[in-house]
Amino acid sequence: MNASFLLFTLLNTGFILLVSPFFMSLIKKVKAYVQGRKGPKLLQSYFDLRKLMQKEVVYSPNSSIIMRITPYLNLGALLLATLFVPVVFIPNAPAGIGNVIVFLYLLVIERFFTSLSGLDSGSAFGGMGSSRLMSLSAVIEPTMIIAFAALAYVLKTVNFHEMFAITAGSTIPESPTLSLISISLFIIIIVETGRIPVDNPATHLELTMINEAMILEQSGKNLALIELAHAIKQTILMAILINTLAPFGLATELTFTGIVISCFYFLVKASLLAGLIGLFESSIAKMRLFRLPGFYMMAFFFSALTILMEVFI
Amino acid sequence: MNLSKNTNDSLISAGTRLRDNRQITVSPTVQATQYATDLIFDVSGEEPQITRGKNHEFYIPLGENEFLKIVPALSEKGFVLISLFCVQDFEDNPGFSLFYMFRLSGYTDVFAFMRHVEMETTSIAKVFPSACWYEREISDGFGIEFTDAFDKRRLFLHEAYPEGFHPLLKSFKNGKIQAVKNPKEAYPFKQVEGKGVYQIPVGPVHAGIIEPGHFRFSVIGEPILNLEIRLFYKHRGIEKLAEGKRPSACIPIAEAISGDETVANAVSFCMAVEKIAGIEIPTRASYLRAILLELERIYSHMGDLSGMITDIGFPRMTTPFLIHREKFFRQNELLTGSRFMRSVIDLGGIKKDIPAEVLSKLAIYLKTFVPQFESEIKDVNASSSLIDRFSTTGILKKKFIVPLNLTGPIARAAGASYDVRLDHPYGIYKDKPPERAIKTTGDVLSRFKVKAAEILNSATLIQELIASIPEGAIVAEVTEFALSNIPHGYALSMVEAARGQNLHWVYVRNGLIERYKVRTASFCNWQAIEHAVLGNVVPDFPLINKSLNLSYAGTDL
Repeated sequence: MNASFLLFTLLNTGFILLVSPFFMSLIKKVKAYVQGRKGPKLLQSYFDLRKLMQKEVVYSPNSSIIMRITPYLNLGALLLATLFVPVVFIPNAPAGIGNVIVFLYLLVIERFFTSLSGLDSGSAFGGMGSSRLMSLSAVIEPTMIIAFAALAYVLKTVNFHEMFAITAGSTIPESPTLSLISISLFIIIIVETGRIPVDNPATHLELTMINEAMILEQSGKNLALIELAHAIKQTILMAILINTLAPFGLATELTFTGIVISCFYFLVKASLLAGLIGLFESSIAKMRLFRLPGFYMMAFFFSALTILMEVFI
Repeated sequence: MNLSKNTNDSLISAGTRLRDNRQITVSPTVQATQYATDLIFDVSGEEPQITRGKNHEFYIPLGENEFLKIVPALSEKGFVLISLFCVQDFEDNPGFSLFYMFRLSGYTDVFAFMRHVEMETTSIAKVFPSACWYEREISDGFGIEFTDAFDKRRLFLHEAYPEGFHPLLKSFKNGKIQAVKNPKEAYPFKQVEGKGVYQIPVGPVHAGIIEPGHFRFSVIGEPILNLEIRLFYKHRGIEKLAEGKRPSACIPIAEAISGDETVANAVSFCMAVEKIAGIEIPTRASYLRAILLELERIYSHMGDLSGMITDIGFPRMTTPFLIHREKFFRQNELLTGSRFMRSVIDLGGIKKDIPAEVLSKLAIYLKTFVPQFESEIKDVNASSSLIDRFSTTGILKKKFIVPLNLTGPIARAAGASYDVRLDHPYGIYKDKPPERAIKTTGDVLSRFKVKAAEILNSATLIQELIASIPEGAIVAEVTEFALSNIPHGYALSMVEAARGQNLHWVYVRNGLIERYKVRTASFCNWQAIEHAVLGNVVPDFPLINKSLNLSYAGTDL
């Protein structure tokens, strides 16, 4: 392990950890504006996390160790995943870090344990959410694989670090097909973060929930960790889209000014993207549960199209 | 007898089923009484003693044999059971009298069949399914057992109430009761069995700010195979509370039945008492009551429209309706001093006059509101993702409307035309009938559209009323005298509340309320949900529930 990577670990992970809650509030703020409300403060997510950290954790008597370890596993998996997506600078990383397949499995770990904890609490709603997520995952996972496969095919590497090293060199997208993949990546952000039209993060209606249902029984510090992991997941996925479509500003070498510029550009681009997500969420109603695979199929379609175009054109 | 029979046959031929969409004919009472007399004579061979009620209803006491014979005939002729309740020691007749209230399409009068019963009697729920809840209610309240009923479970008295506790008996005095701790038997829900069937218990405590109710779903995967509801988690004893009070002291009780039906219930209660006391309210008061009733309908429907869109996760579309609702609350406050229009309706008229300039401000507001609302409804219709969620969701079939006595916008969205304002006109609606809004699909979308259309119809009606409201007194002059000399008597009154047909039956004795029976539309309409959700997926339940907009409080008196 070299010094540059060690610094990357601290800076990249620390930066993502720090800014992730901000984007959660920002999306809420945008949605509120569209509805004609003032919305929460931009730092509200941080206040909420602090509040939850101070609260007592309550466990259902039916729950097992799964319920207790899930928050840590989730956050751990996502923190590890932050190393795969460089936003401050592109380091000289050891082999394996940045591998797309490993990255996908880190996301699956989070999904798997969240589902298990939904069942573990013994409440009717948790199990319902888990069963819905698992059914839908059968469609989500192939879609994600094909999207990242398309990315890998276009950029001729399965490593995010190498991919972004290629894209960061140019101000416009490396290949026009990347803009097609970006549509898929955008849909993946919506799906993975449980936003409208897939799931409604703002609802109180237990019967309609997918993601929220599984964490209904989580409380206090554990809930804070899960929420934080969720926010990090959103930031990482946004970063992948940003680095693919609009990579300008990302430093490829370790310099102080480079890092500052990278961080600044990322904040601006991610804020814009968060605004776009908020607008997108405000523009449509939540879909019927059994129509959702159709939405994922759109992502699948654009990625498959990319591969076909790369092969034949 | 034979002569008149012929005229009746031409009016409603034998075996004609109720046709709700038929043009209403306001037939004279004579014909209705004659019709009932003939019917009973045909079935039992005896001529009944018909007593004219005070408010377009008439009472027909029947012997046990006649009653049992007449029930199937009533069902065949298309009579709708609109209420069933029990009165103890009615007119110095010791024991229990059951009142079976029926309506028949084409008649403005209500047919009340009276049956004197002992502690054990027979059920009619197999012929009139809507009787089921009423009979369970009577069993709880009075301890009367319906021996051949298919459902003998308790209704509003949950397990925590002790055995033999029957609060509506005259011998029962209000007081503290000892709750049963750890009841032996749990409430038996219907069991659905089979491969892959499982139950989802929901409530009575919900995540939102909402009243308590338990929903027991039996599902296979997501589609709902069966739903059983259980309500009555916060029984307040409203009917008992009214007993022994002066009629004027009961208006606040009527207003508290269901918060967003304040005016409807207060008006209905007052109408019943006014009929008993022989008070004719001034025309201006009639106009003002109708304006308030329509405002209540508008804000209630507005809440439903926004609620339905909220439940499909489309808050941007919700906002305009929420804003309108708030604006109507503010109008209510300007008009009456109360956002929910509490303490406005009074016996003999209304409490406080509404000045002409405030009314004209309301008219001006409505003028700007109507085009704005119309364009927002256009936006809703233009959103494909929204229509996709609303259309074909939660279809309520027309065949349930008569057996369950479903009323209000939910029935009108499923093809019924029944509207109390038009079919049993009261107050100013006799002169100014509102338009009917009818859809036939019975899904969430048609309920949305019917409610939107009713908002516009109400707005038009209010504008008309304001334009033609006469000057004059707001309380009948005789009120005080008439109330202090109120005779013995009873009267039925019905109003079209936002949710449908609300029915109040008041019985006054020695100047005090002897029995007060309330049946809000929700009591009947709740049963629609068990049918409307079948085959839908669980995540669509909240939307279907919202589109039916059922009141927990209005059901649980």
